[in-house]
Amino acid sequence: MRVETLIIGAGFGGLGSAIRLQHAGHHDFVILERASEVGGTWRDNQYPGAACDIPSNLYSFSFAPNPEWTRTYSGSAEILDYVKRLVRDHHLLPKVRFGQNVSELRFHASEAEWEVRTDGGDVYRARSVILASGALANPGYPNIEGIERFAGHRIHSARWDHGYDFAGKRVAVIGTGASAVQIIPELVKMAGFVKVFQRTPGWVLPRADRATGERARSLFRRSPEAQAAARKAMFWIHESMALGVIWSSPLTRVIERVAAAHLQKQVKDGWLRRQLTPNYRVGCKRILLSNTYYPALQAPNCKLLTWPIVKFTERGLVTAEGVEHQFDCVVFATGFDVHKTSTVFPIIGLDGRVLGEEWKKGSQAYKSMNVSGYPNLHFILGPNSGPGHNSALVYMESQIDFAVQGVRAVTEGGLRTLDVRPEAQRRYNEQLQRRLAKTNWSSGCKSWYLTEDGYNATMYPGFATQYARGLRRLRLEDYQTTAVR
Amino acid sequence: MAQVDLDKMLVKIKATQWGLGDVDWDAPGADMIGPEQWPKLKAFMADVMWVEHVGARGFAALARTAPTETLREIYTYFQAEEQRHANAEMALMRRWGMLDGDELPEPNVNLRLVIAWLDKYADELPFYVLGATIPMLEVALDGALCRFLLDTVDDPVCHAVFDLINGDEARHLAVGFSVMEHQCDDVDTLGLLKMCAPALHPRTLLGGLVYVPLLSKMRDNLIELGLPEHKLIDAMARFGKNGGRTPNGRRNPYFLLARRHARRFSDRNDKSYHVPANLAVRVTAHIPRWALPPVPSWVKELTWKPVS
Repeated sequence: MRVETLIIGAGFGGLGSAIRLQHAGHHDFVILERASEVGGTWRDNQYPGAACDIPSNLYSFSFAPNPEWTRTYSGSAEILDYVKRLVRDHHLLPKVRFGQNVSELRFHASEAEWEVRTDGGDVYRARSVILASGALANPGYPNIEGIERFAGHRIHSARWDHGYDFAGKRVAVIGTGASAVQIIPELVKMAGFVKVFQRTPGWVLPRADRATGERARSLFRRSPEAQAAARKAMFWIHESMALGVIWSSPLTRVIERVAAAHLQKQVKDGWLRRQLTPNYRVGCKRILLSNTYYPALQAPNCKLLTWPIVKFTERGLVTAEGVEHQFDCVVFATGFDVHKTSTVFPIIGLDGRVLGEEWKKGSQAYKSMNVSGYPNLHFILGPNSGPGHNSALVYMESQIDFAVQGVRAVTEGGLRTLDVRPEAQRRYNEQLQRRLAKTNWSSGCKSWYLTEDGYNATMYPGFATQYARGLRRLRLEDYQTTAVR
Repeated sequence: MAQVDLDKMLVKIKATQWGLGDVDWDAPGADMIGPEQWPKLKAFMADVMWVEHVGARGFAALARTAPTETLREIYTYFQAEEQRHANAEMALMRRWGMLDGDELPEPNVNLRLVIAWLDKYADELPFYVLGATIPMLEVALDGALCRFLLDTVDDPVCHAVFDLINGDEARHLAVGFSVMEHQCDDVDTLGLLKMCAPALHPRTLLGGLVYVPLLSKMRDNLIELGLPEHKLIDAMARFGKNGGRTPNGRRNPYFLLARRHARRFSDRNDKSYHVPANLAVRVTAHIPRWALPPVPSWVKELTWKPVS
């Protein structure tokens, strides 16, 4: 099958790209989706308690506002409904090819076309590709000896088993990150006994979550301007947090004090409080939001363990204090396999270049969007596009509009190929890494933002406004182009 | 002391972990403890177990204050390993019928005071203060107490357990001495003076006040059990010798302080040390239990059970 533009992934990134392509009058595209449903991360992360850490008014597209959000921070089911509504409202379903798991992307210079192969043997050809396969798409498992040995039930937070009955069960939760702090309070309500295995505690801030009243919803229905204003206010509140979250400043100390006061208020035992107190600067790792996590850890049927895990056995886990902890079920709240030094599937560019090889020491791109040697390929949530303080969808909107500009330069601008210049990419990344070195992410903790060598391939060291400004206009002078013959 | 590659050491530490489940606690030999040995051994084991547990809390503090990620991770393992030793020693006590049910051996008053002090102040101490004190205690524990125990107890399970424990302790000492030596790398005289300043802080002085009688109390218990005092003195001398092998090691003010303390502790004729220390043991023995600070919850983590 041949189309003008191919979009990979039917999550927020892919569907948002499709909508904006339509807005630009571009309808010759297809979306490839590996699953049988749209939704991406929000389809996969349906564990009990799953919700977004960014207010829903901000964690949604500005071009597709939803006046019906029922809470400040909506749960994953409601977010998934919103994604499905995007598909309905923009008539995207006929454009999506389900069950198409891409196995290879290869650029053919002679035809200036990308060839996209799926593991089912289907082949697609397109002049432009928007790669929106998601940064947090594949479950990540910890590297623990004998993980395959455990004979009990295993569940990953991103692949929840809704059929498993937790009643009376002994459950281990491995990990204490963003998913874990949402799952644990729910598990404690359901399971017999929950043991939480923590390697590093996170900074936890109170979560100002409340139901959105009918009056506010009705106002947003009647006046999209009012909702846009509310969104703008939330945007600027989050934007100002960058001053404390991304860089070390007096605001960083204030955030740390708020988190410490939250811990002090919710946890009375001194030793438990010590175990839950981070030993690194706030912002270095992802900040957690929860009012229910600390109380759940102190429930009579819950226990926090901070001993290093040695190995899995058939019946549980041995920790370094010498005890085997036995379980019926292990829940892996261990996040995602984030591709910082490789690609999800082989991407072969000009002259047979393999992107995974070039990214071995850490992925990089020009403005997180394009990589030299891989023409007409646009990344959504590509390298160094992650925010630590604001909505990922704000960043994504800028990326989508930038990608649409790139697609249009090919379809309407008379270009055959649009390939970022290596020197532009190098300049951009040198400056980016210099700026990253001064951020809290580089202040000494281990996090999934960094590679094993400490290279930051994930985060953008600046304000969302700064990032958006950089993507407002496609600077053709930074690209090598070839015209249609 | 050879230089230790800490990254390789961390790999080794991870590869040499063991659990209580690796020991056959029901193997024959438990009856090899004689009736007159039994009460003394019970007191001895309780002391050893508590010292290991207190050591775990010390390592927990080092895991916070250590200057590098690798060292922090190493100390996180060492904390757990000390806890494992305490757990294994409890399991031995249970094997020998020294514990009823889930009962914890009673810590003596001096231990209670050290536990309370560690709980309150250990995390605030500069890295190099505990970095020098812990190796000294470990040398005493490894070089005198454990060897003595193996000389007097015939139970093969006890020997098997202490083989495992001593393997861990050897790594603790290697890291401890190496770190002590490197603390003075590139430190000028002013830097050394700055390092000394925290020794005069009231919390450090208070720490000394609870630590000195504990050491004397334990020595008394050991001698009562039959440990020849020269074994303890030899172990302390080994600390001075091993810690002072390199010029940088000999410049570390906390090593010098710990070595000086070890020498004075070893010299029974040093009246200006022993008279007040022994007096402190006698005075603290009169502190009523109710007046002692509450036991922190980390103490409740101890268990003799291989499976939870």
